Amino acid sequence: MLKECPKKVARLIDLANLPSNLREFTGGQSQMSHLGFFIRVWSHIKIHKLQDPNNKNLVNCDDKLKSILLGKTQVELSELPTLINFHFPKQPK
Amino acid sequence: MGKLSPSLRSARFLVPSLKPSPSSPSPPPSKSPSKPSFYRPSLRKPIKTAKRTTPLPAPPPPPHQHLFRSPILSDAISTFDSLAAATTAPLDPSSLLQSFCNAGASPSDALSFFRHISSSSPSASGRAAFHVLLGHSCLHPSALDPSSLFDLMSDAGFPPDAASADLAVRALCSADCLDDACALLRGPLSAVADRFTYNFLIRRLARYRPISSVYVVIDKLSSVGLKPDLVTYTNLIDAVCRGRNLREATRLLAMLGDAGFKPDCYLYNVIMKGYCMVDQCGEVMEVYNRMKDEGVEPDLVTYNTLVYGLSKAGMLAQAKKFLNVMVDMGHFPDVVTYTSLMSGMCRKGDALAALKLLGEMEEKGCTPNDCTYNTLLMGLCKAKCLDQGMQLYGEMISKAMKLENATYATFVRALCRANKIAEAYEVFDYVIESKSLTDVSAYTALENSLKWLKRGKVYLFTCMALPP
Repeated sequence: MLKECPKKVARLIDLANLPSNLREFTGGQSQMSHLGFFIRVWSHIKIHKLQDPNNKNLVNCDDKLKSILLGKTQVELSELPTLINFHFPKQPK
Repeated sequence: MGKLSPSLRSARFLVPSLKPSPSSPSPPPSKSPSKPSFYRPSLRKPIKTAKRTTPLPAPPPPPHQHLFRSPILSDAISTFDSLAAATTAPLDPSSLLQSFCNAGASPSDALSFFRHISSSSPSASGRAAFHVLLGHSCLHPSALDPSSLFDLMSDAGFPPDAASADLAVRALCSADCLDDACALLRGPLSAVADRFTYNFLIRRLARYRPISSVYVVIDKLSSVGLKPDLVTYTNLIDAVCRGRNLREATRLLAMLGDAGFKPDCYLYNVIMKGYCMVDQCGEVMEVYNRMKDEGVEPDLVTYNTLVYGLSKAGMLAQAKKFLNVMVDMGHFPDVVTYTSLMSGMCRKGDALAALKLLGEMEEKGCTPNDCTYNTLLMGLCKAKCLDQGMQLYGEMISKAMKLENATYATFVRALCRANKIAEAYEVFDYVIESKSLTDVSAYTALENSLKWLKRGKVYLFTCMALPP
């Protein structure tokens, strides 16, 4: 089995300092990994049942979610990883 | 170097021969389940271990299994004293020691404790107790030199025998001290070690060391009277085939003939597997024919390997034919046979036929396993039969089966392509929840599928939406 590139893995699981708008979402936690944050957002969607009942691929954002997903009222599930990527920019070498 | 397989590493206390368990002490853990374990080198192990356990005095079910909870010597001694004062029945020293060792005592503490026991009841020291000590000190070889124990054993009237040698070597191997084990076999144990111990060690070495250094060890050991036999050669050939070194395997085969050994069924199985490993699966037929010419009786593993190789080479018609041949010869196709055949069908893109085979297999009373379902699911996704795939996935969930990485990635990609993003997220959740994969690999596959799906659109769109 192919192993993932260690740098990519590190980018996903290393703790990063969250900017202030994300801190509100995580309930005051100041550090979180990229992957942890993604799972956090996804479970937020599941817990609050934010998926559109007619089309499960769409998410109707609540205020909390809006604050971190560029202020959109509705996002597609497929763009969720990309949207979250913006908060975790690649480290300059 | 000298990597231990995780299952062995986690084994906290391995003194297998002391407990009369019929199962082998260290069956090679089945590797990645994507390849059916069509060949099991452990097949001849059970015989071996059966022999191994017999010379050992098997302790009765120890009543003091969890007597000692702390690894501190003084605690153990006081517990022992109070126990000895309370009962008149003789205490079994080996199970007491075992319990103390299991509590995490250091080998030297265990030795002191043993001295204390034998001083209070001189009749107590027996071979079993020494073996507990030996096993424990070999598992933690830095703390106490095992060879000093051999002197102690000889002084007490129990010179180390074949069982002691086997125990010491196996414990040292699982503590990742292959060199120490070699040194023991060359030194104090050279007279008593038997074939089984020797072959175990060589097998271990061949797996984790470069083959040239194994030859050096074989040379050194043959000077003390331990010479390679057919089992050794089989293990060596297996190891070099694993490293895809076909030339070395051919050389070994010639060497084995020169040494006067006649290949048996196991060896042929290993050769067949070797061909499958180096992607020359078509050759399995020739090996099979040679076996028949030599009059060697094929066993279940042979047929499984054959079916696997033929399926992998795309010769499905022949592979299916052997399903019947097997039955005629009195071997019934098992889950490995069927899974190999299914994976061959899936390779050809005929996943629906493979699905039919699943029904046939269950009819015949053969229970499919995780690997079967993974193979099928992947085949169905690749053959664009997503509906059947999702149905199969539902069955997998109900049986709490795990998904493999490749299957998961293929399935998620197929779901995303069919615009079933929410379902893909559910699969992601299931994989994490069932601990099939790490979070990272689960996320990476999901992200990649989504990225390739929407690449142009989302990327441009979000770039524009971002503040400059």
